[in-house]
Amino acid sequence: MFHDLAPQLFNGLVLGAFYAIVAIGLSLIMNLTGTINMAHGSFMTLAGYLAYSLVLRGTSFWFALIAAPLIAVIVGIAVERTLVRPLYRREPFYSLLMTFGLSLMAEEIFRLIWGPNGVPFSAPAALSGAASLGFMTFPTFRIFIVVVLVITISALAFFLTRTRFGLRLRAAVQDTEMIAALGTNTQVLYAVNFGLGIFLAGIAGVLAAGMLGLSPTSGNALLMPAFVTVIIGGMGSLFGSIVGGLLIGIAISMTTLFIPAASEVSMYVLMAIVLSVRPRGLFGEEGIFG
Amino acid sequence: MSEPLLSVEGLYTNYGKIQILRDVSLTVGAGEVVALLGLNGAGKTTTMRSIIGLTPPRAGRVRYGGRDITRWPAYKVARLGVGYVPEGRRMFRDLTTLENLQLAENGRGGAWTIARVLEQLPKLGELRGRKSGRLSGGEQEMLSIGRALVSNPTLLLVDEPSQGLAPLIVEDVYRILRELKATGVAILLVEQNALLALHIADRAYVMDSGRIVHGGPAAELAADRNRIRTLMGLDAAVG
Repeated sequence: MFHDLAPQLFNGLVLGAFYAIVAIGLSLIMNLTGTINMAHGSFMTLAGYLAYSLVLRGTSFWFALIAAPLIAVIVGIAVERTLVRPLYRREPFYSLLMTFGLSLMAEEIFRLIWGPNGVPFSAPAALSGAASLGFMTFPTFRIFIVVVLVITISALAFFLTRTRFGLRLRAAVQDTEMIAALGTNTQVLYAVNFGLGIFLAGIAGVLAAGMLGLSPTSGNALLMPAFVTVIIGGMGSLFGSIVGGLLIGIAISMTTLFIPAASEVSMYVLMAIVLSVRPRGLFGEEGIFG
Repeated sequence: MSEPLLSVEGLYTNYGKIQILRDVSLTVGAGEVVALLGLNGAGKTTTMRSIIGLTPPRAGRVRYGGRDITRWPAYKVARLGVGYVPEGRRMFRDLTTLENLQLAENGRGGAWTIARVLEQLPKLGELRGRKSGRLSGGEQEMLSIGRALVSNPTLLLVDEPSQGLAPLIVEDVYRILRELKATGVAILLVEQNALLALHIADRAYVMDSGRIVHGGPAAELAADRNRIRTLMGLDAAVG
């Protein structure tokens, strides 16, 4: 059992990286507009299916990895402009219900277009096989996933902390009125921010499709762990989402190894422990990326 | 006579079902400093918010620089050169002093750059890397004004700049406002401390219960303390 420890730990980190990136997307949207996007998982699934269809039509995996999330972003911004935007002035409850309804509709639409069962979506040949990490071997595709997710999160951190637009986003999270009074069109901020969240979901969706499989409900399966990630990491903190995601990933993979029956419940146990010690989550009071 | 820089005509504004402003009319000429006085809850802040579009009026008109800007979104009004120094400073607390200033850069061009603001307000230069939430009240007020300056406003709306500040710092704040006035920036100044505001203002309006109850030259009102007391209540003529 113990010789499985290192690979299983690494599996946990890969899983955790997924939770983190989905949670960051959720947090971005929640922090700025108070919208709890229950349809976030649907956008993951959408990007996965889009990538599947693109590859089926002969495009390369690499093209699909970028194009599918971008198409999902276009759909996402259209949804934000038409369905979410009118609800910003209302209680968060309204947008929660609306996006929940949207996720149910999306699931049926996926069934209609791509069928009720899972479809095969596998990594390209260059990424199949295993790579040696020196002390163990590990599937190349999973290493690739970690690399892409780390690059994506780093790029996001750079965008938020080093660009003018990112500065405006961070300011708007604190005070949307003042940022408007300084000449920034907040509606554009909302749309771009929503699109950013969806892009992260889309990247995760394509990668998850290659690792965990692709079915009408596959994105939603990652949504609940992502919410738990946000809560453990602390509302408002993107850095907290990274830590929270990795913790949950490791917790799940370790319980899978030692007490398989408890793997489902382990993240909730972790959440209960964290919340009883720090009710606001691990990094709940920190600013976003510093 | 040419049109004033800002003219507000017959403004009615509600917060939900509660009517705050009733038939508010006022003007601010180019380069003019106009004080807007009144007790707490008289509607001064709401008047400012209606002008810049944060609380759109239900009826009435706001004209600025020859355009009807009634119910324009705040960002468009800001881009026309209307700066806002809100009550309570409203810093972006998690951002540094420098980042707060950078947010106001809008490419309008003009005399005020971040470098010049830091030169004029050297204290802010020393604190450029500090999160604005950790600044003192006076430093935050300076930053709030500095932030408005970086946007190179033609008209500056300043809400209660002396509130909660030590007298020495209030002097500093008013020194900057006077310097601004000298450079030709028009200022609409809301202030509880009537005499302080009247000292710098050219004209003054007094509000009560959402209406303008007096308008005239500032010097005239400043000279007549009994008048201020009658218009604004007994404890208003302080300072």
